[in-house]
Amino acid sequence: MKQVVVKTSTYSSDEFGVCSALYELGGMVVMHDASGCNSTYTTHDEPRWYDMDSMIYISAISEMEAIMGDDEKLITDILETAEELKPKFIAIVGAPIPYMTGTDFQAIANIVEEKAGLFCFGFQTNGMEYYTKGISMALRELTDRFCIESVPKPSDRMRVNILGATPLDFSVNGTVDAIESWLSKKGFEPGCCFAMGSSLDEIFLASSAHVNLVISYGGLEAAKLLEERFGIPYVVGVPYGQVFSNLLGNTIYQASMMNRHQIAYAAKMEYGSESKKQVAIIGESVLCASLASAIEMEHPELNCKVLCPLDTESLLLRPGDQRTPEEDDIASALKKADFVIADPLYQTLCPEKEFISLPHTAFSGRIFEKEIPILIGDLSALKL
Amino acid sequence: MLKIAIYGKGGIGKSTTTANLAAAFSTLGKKVIQIGCDPKADSTMNLLGGHPVQPVMDYIREKDEEPEKIEEITKEGFGGIVCIETGGPTPGLGCAGRGIITTFSLLEELELFETYHPDVVLYDVLGDVVCGGFAAPIREGYAEQILIVTSGEKMALYAANNINTAVKNFEDRGYAKVRGIILNRRKVENEYEKVSAFAEANGLEIIADIPRSDDIIKYEDQGMTVIEGDPNLEISKTYIALAKKLLESETNE
Repeated sequence: MKQVVVKTSTYSSDEFGVCSALYELGGMVVMHDASGCNSTYTTHDEPRWYDMDSMIYISAISEMEAIMGDDEKLITDILETAEELKPKFIAIVGAPIPYMTGTDFQAIANIVEEKAGLFCFGFQTNGMEYYTKGISMALRELTDRFCIESVPKPSDRMRVNILGATPLDFSVNGTVDAIESWLSKKGFEPGCCFAMGSSLDEIFLASSAHVNLVISYGGLEAAKLLEERFGIPYVVGVPYGQVFSNLLGNTIYQASMMNRHQIAYAAKMEYGSESKKQVAIIGESVLCASLASAIEMEHPELNCKVLCPLDTESLLLRPGDQRTPEEDDIASALKKADFVIADPLYQTLCPEKEFISLPHTAFSGRIFEKEIPILIGDLSALKL
Repeated sequence: MLKIAIYGKGGIGKSTTTANLAAAFSTLGKKVIQIGCDPKADSTMNLLGGHPVQPVMDYIREKDEEPEKIEEITKEGFGGIVCIETGGPTPGLGCAGRGIITTFSLLEELELFETYHPDVVLYDVLGDVVCGGFAAPIREGYAEQILIVTSGEKMALYAANNINTAVKNFEDRGYAKVRGIILNRRKVENEYEKVSAFAEANGLEIIADIPRSDDIIKYEDQGMTVIEGDPNLEISKTYIALAKKLLESETNE
């Protein structure tokens, strides 16, 4: 059945993806939506909400404002609030009601930018797409507006930015810090991180990196833009496990030497895979494909297949992986699996299968947040 | 790329004007795309010899999914003109304006311009700027110029004034600007003077004066524009002259 979720959960939406990506950068983010509809944002989708301040607001659009297309009220409210809060930038984020009435967020952003004298983004999100799209839009726009000038690169060490980090994919359990530590251990200098743990001033210096490490689909468009604008190659992959993370480290060096972007997990040994134990991994493409490669490298008796229900590009999946936009697609694909690695809320689709829990904030919110393992450089927490 | 949106009162001859203008551009060797933005989906009918293209909304309704290739919702007509109709929801239901915006997003996703590399894109828009959706063709990235079609009739001029005012309200948004008026004659007494007075009062130019012509109806009955029917007719020459004028002003800019 199309677009029907019967047994599992739904992923966080595109507007929350934008909010998550911009949370730490000192901007004022305004969701143009009816008040009340966004409680899931604070209760489920933003684990930093109670520990870290961020200027995130709801416009509280009313029925009459929607009918009348009263953009002026939104513009005035934003300008008054910006005057008071002095944010570093403004982002206006679309939701289902303005989507249906055809609100032109780019035009509103142009007006606000001119009047406020601040960078202003208008995101044509609608609350019906996945968070992955929102992160992608936000990080691309951030790059487009703030990474303009070429900044000199360090000569002593190879600097590597991290692109695509949000708690929706990586939680706040220390995984992103672990990726930075891993980069340092491999002899790289961690650059800025789009967008956890880095300030906007650090993002300005993104062009000083030798390579960009894309750790989720959400970081890919920003990486492409940085490559186009400054010739910085990117490498796609998350340094899971010991063997795969070593490969990823080498791939970063190669990408820099050859000045060409690479996907670290692109190659997969298909030979003999049918006789192996079949593992299904459900979730975001870059995370899951990296994990699949990491598992296969350390457990040659296993053959992994990624089931990706989210936005991605075919190149971000490995041969044999599958896009599964519908719940039915996932249920059908799971029949061939011997065991499953996924968010616990997927277990209802395969109660008879062996199941390894890998909670995903964008899917189950905070319910299992204390159980999210750190797998950077070491898969042992997965208890395979 | 010349990108023009054509507005005007319902029934004033927008689709006839747009299709003939498209045919004129094509005759001048230009690659043209015409996008009908009206739930009636009758804009490109006379470019397709009576074999209409399936409107985008009809496609989505029928297949319950969006098209994956641009060719599924386009059809080439006279002179290689690429014809597209947004169509609309079931009459009396849904939201036609939203349908136009969705269609435009889809055309972008399916890389319409990258596929056909048009010289000219014409947007034929339903009667009036009634809601956000019907302003979509003049948003940033779409049409850059607007032509308002009117006769000397009071209600046609009233609609023209509404459209011009709506466009002025969008001045700070970076939307398309009104390029001029097309006078589509209806045998109204002192017609030129009336339209001229309106144009002057609003600082607009009458960019073309289209005479009433039975040839238009004659060839429309055969499923074609007058330009396809007989390019040597005076009425055809008028459309070709308008096309040339628009191309020249683009070159000068």
